[in-house]
Amino acid sequence: MEIVLRDEGSVTVLTLRGRLDLATGSTLKQQIKKLFEKERTAVHLNLADVEFINSSGLGALVSIMKEIRLRKGRLTLSDLASYVKEIFEITQLSHIFEIFATEDEALASYQAAVLN
Amino acid sequence: MTTYTFHYQSSAASEEMMLDHLTTVLENHRIPEEAAGRFVLIVSEAFTNAMVHGNRSDSHKTIKLTICVNDEHLTADIIDEGHGGLEQIRNRRPPTLLSEGGRGVDLMEHYASGVAFTETADGGLHVSVRVDLKTEKTR
Repeated sequence: MEIVLRDEGSVTVLTLRGRLDLATGSTLKQQIKKLFEKERTAVHLNLADVEFINSSGLGALVSIMKEIRLRKGRLTLSDLASYVKEIFEITQLSHIFEIFATEDEALASYQAAVLN
Repeated sequence: MTTYTFHYQSSAASEEMMLDHLTTVLENHRIPEEAAGRFVLIVSEAFTNAMVHGNRSDSHKTIKLTICVNDEHLTADIIDEGHGGLEQIRNRRPPTLLSEGGRGVDLMEHYASGVAFTETADGGLHVSVRVDLKTEKTR
């Protein structure tokens, strides 16, 4: 899996490309831990180019969400392909993740949170 | 019917290798994207279960994957060299929303046309899955 990082103000955006499974989920978790070392705990994951996700990949996302919550940060997701969205719904994980249709909407929600 | 058999070490690199092999087989047979996607997900769940829970990531233990393709359906048999896997499957508890694991079997059962768990003579877990091509479930 390819991970491209960029900062949008206080939010770190990670664009994921490829498969999100046991091995790559572990790589993603390591990447997120590096962000914590820089005290960046506002994280957005763009999943538009995730071509495959299984329960191990979902488990990695849950782990990341819990780590971010422990640090009083925020995790958002966007651009889920229809089958990825369906897997989130089947597993009911759609109830615990902040999922936006687009990255722009997700990033706007961070700005709105600051204004409020 | 065409049958393919693969053997993998129980190591992290094997998962990606298996997915590459499986994807190539499905592409070569021009399996429709919907059914292929479901099949890859189901096999990956069984494979990861075999590697992590069955063989406990012991690289000396192997996972045998047999794939059969015909006009009617896709089948896969995933066999590990662990012990007590069938008991673990039978006694599994539903995951909570914040659980990091425990969703694989439910996803397999949701997307497969048929799934069966049996024990090998050596105590390993044998998972048989089937995806029908004529009556596709929605992935």
